[in-house]
Amino acid sequence: MNFLEFMQQMVNGFSLGSMYALIAIGYTMVYGVLRLINFAHGDIMMVGAFLGYFGMAVLGLPFVAAVFLAVVGSSLLGMLTDKVAYKPLRDAPKISLLITAIGISFFLENIFNVLFGGTPRPFPVPEYMEHIINISGLIFSVASLMVPIVTLLLLTIILWVLYKTKYGMAIRALAFDVNTVNLMGIDANRIIMLVFGMGSGLAAVGGIFWAVNYPSVEPMMGVLIGLKAFAAAVVGGIGSVGGAVIGGFIIGFTEVVVVAFLPEYGGYKDAFAFVLLILVLLFKPTGILGINFDKSRF
Amino acid sequence: MRKLSILATSVALLVSVSVAKEIKVGAVMPMSGPLAAYGQTTYDGIVLAQKLQPTLKNGDTVKLVLVDNKGDKVETATSTTRLISSDKVTAILGALTSTNTAQVIAIADKKQIPVIAPAATNDKLTMRRSFANRVCFADSFQGKVVANYALKDLGLKTAVVIVDQAQVYSLGLSKAFKKAFEKGGGKVIKKLKITSGDKDFKAIVSQIKTMNPDFIFLPLYHPEASMIARQSKQIGLNKPMFSGDGVANQTFIDLGGKAVEGYMFTDFFDYSAPPTQKSKDFIAAYSKETGKNELNSFTALGADTYFLLVDAMNRCSDPSDSICVNKEIKASKGFEGVSGIINMDKTGNATRSAVIKVITNGKAIYKTTVNP
Repeated sequence: MNFLEFMQQMVNGFSLGSMYALIAIGYTMVYGVLRLINFAHGDIMMVGAFLGYFGMAVLGLPFVAAVFLAVVGSSLLGMLTDKVAYKPLRDAPKISLLITAIGISFFLENIFNVLFGGTPRPFPVPEYMEHIINISGLIFSVASLMVPIVTLLLLTIILWVLYKTKYGMAIRALAFDVNTVNLMGIDANRIIMLVFGMGSGLAAVGGIFWAVNYPSVEPMMGVLIGLKAFAAAVVGGIGSVGGAVIGGFIIGFTEVVVVAFLPEYGGYKDAFAFVLLILVLLFKPTGILGINFDKSRF
Repeated sequence: MRKLSILATSVALLVSVSVAKEIKVGAVMPMSGPLAAYGQTTYDGIVLAQKLQPTLKNGDTVKLVLVDNKGDKVETATSTTRLISSDKVTAILGALTSTNTAQVIAIADKKQIPVIAPAATNDKLTMRRSFANRVCFADSFQGKVVANYALKDLGLKTAVVIVDQAQVYSLGLSKAFKKAFEKGGGKVIKKLKITSGDKDFKAIVSQIKTMNPDFIFLPLYHPEASMIARQSKQIGLNKPMFSGDGVANQTFIDLGGKAVEGYMFTDFFDYSAPPTQKSKDFIAAYSKETGKNELNSFTALGADTYFLLVDAMNRCSDPSDSICVNKEIKASKGFEGVSGIINMDKTGNATRSAVIKVITNGKAIYKTTVNP
């Protein structure tokens, strides 16, 4: 392997890693507050991608407007699922919530399958996103360059909301103790709903950028990505937004490195990524940036 | 007394012969779910064929019983059992993919009900199953067609193969291709493995670029193949690409966009080069029915499962005798089908021609026919 190919593979790893990171930050946000592994996250991502698809292919909206539509639509869907499925279970054991999340996940997959069929649809990628940049032999598309930028941007926004706004303070307080938050006169249910809205909005952005990079949308698209993003969030330390980004890069690079350096085992790249996950957790049970949840979060 | 009873039986026989029966034929197809698009196109062919030839030679009518397997293995098994035990079908047409068809065959074989598969190409499907039949070619033939065409007609000597290790279809086809390609003097530089569901292939295509093969063989289904084509073009890998029938559908072209221009694949049939008189008649009937001329190869294969079955039933004295029907299906020689001339053998496999198509200006254009 020559230097150019090595660098190209690193670029590939970077673009895949930032994709996982983008989806993982939504996962980790919801967990940080509710300690709920929202298994429906990948499917809300799928809904976001579908909304983007309808916005562009059916309504003929420009890309930015389609992203806006997807974010708003998915946020509303996230809040609705909270209201319908999670809120009645606030006092139930955590495991019931987890099962409900799996139920929501199956529900979304199947309802989209019934309504729109399982045949993948081509996502109408805007022309400028497909533009190829070639820097002395290193090749990447504008779309794959956009992903890390968007990830960093969203990361900054989330950290800003969490640490600089009143709502952020309420969210952080909620992560500590729900009862105390209620005693302080904050409507905990409203804050939880807000968290779901934000998390789902992030999922929608992730879904759209996934569809821009890999232009096909279908009802089952969120399953595998959701699982990988979940793994990324766990490796990074679930509940830590920065950790999710690091975790995403680790999983992305592992996959590319396995394919590039051990081509015979390329088909087992998922296995390698998950073995790494187990190793990290063996030595650092809370993940790389994970903190003991009894002390603090975010 | 004895005379009387003989008379009674012969009268009964006479009555039973003269009164036309209704013979039930089951169809197991993915009408919903991820494979719905293909299931529906294939079933369209079966339905139109039944409409064109609803009765047998002896006056019996054929009734189709459709069950939707939703593209799912377990669903396939339960619906097959239902068709045999409660609907009492004489034969089953379907299912679409090799994986699901294997389920149908496993159950029907025990109950001695003949199955005719429209498009399941996996080699192992008909092995040790005496009631399994198909009207499509098998992967070993398809692999040979690609290998010979690449070597002789295109002069391509080295290849990289991308195989989907989660699909029986892909594993079988890649093996058949490699065998035929190396026998003909070609060289497979490397076999790279992927898993269905993957979307990011940048690491793989970057590698192929440095290997610099003459062409890339992708025995995959359309979701993966289209993404690989797109990402190859992105990094400037412009080698010829070749696939089997797994990409023979419009969705592949929609997903691949400009990146699949020049992409070649094998298929069973092309409406622009109708191989038989029956194809011409069927295309005419199809365009009368739907207003379209573009008869999909799955529709043609669906129709052929029905026509082949009816043809076999006509040669049996009792068309509802599934053992005789099975025997006659396998005895069909030189059968003029919609998708071409089909010769069945005693293993239930069809010897038939393949066509090669090239994607040009967003359309799959007929290139040539390869005879066995």
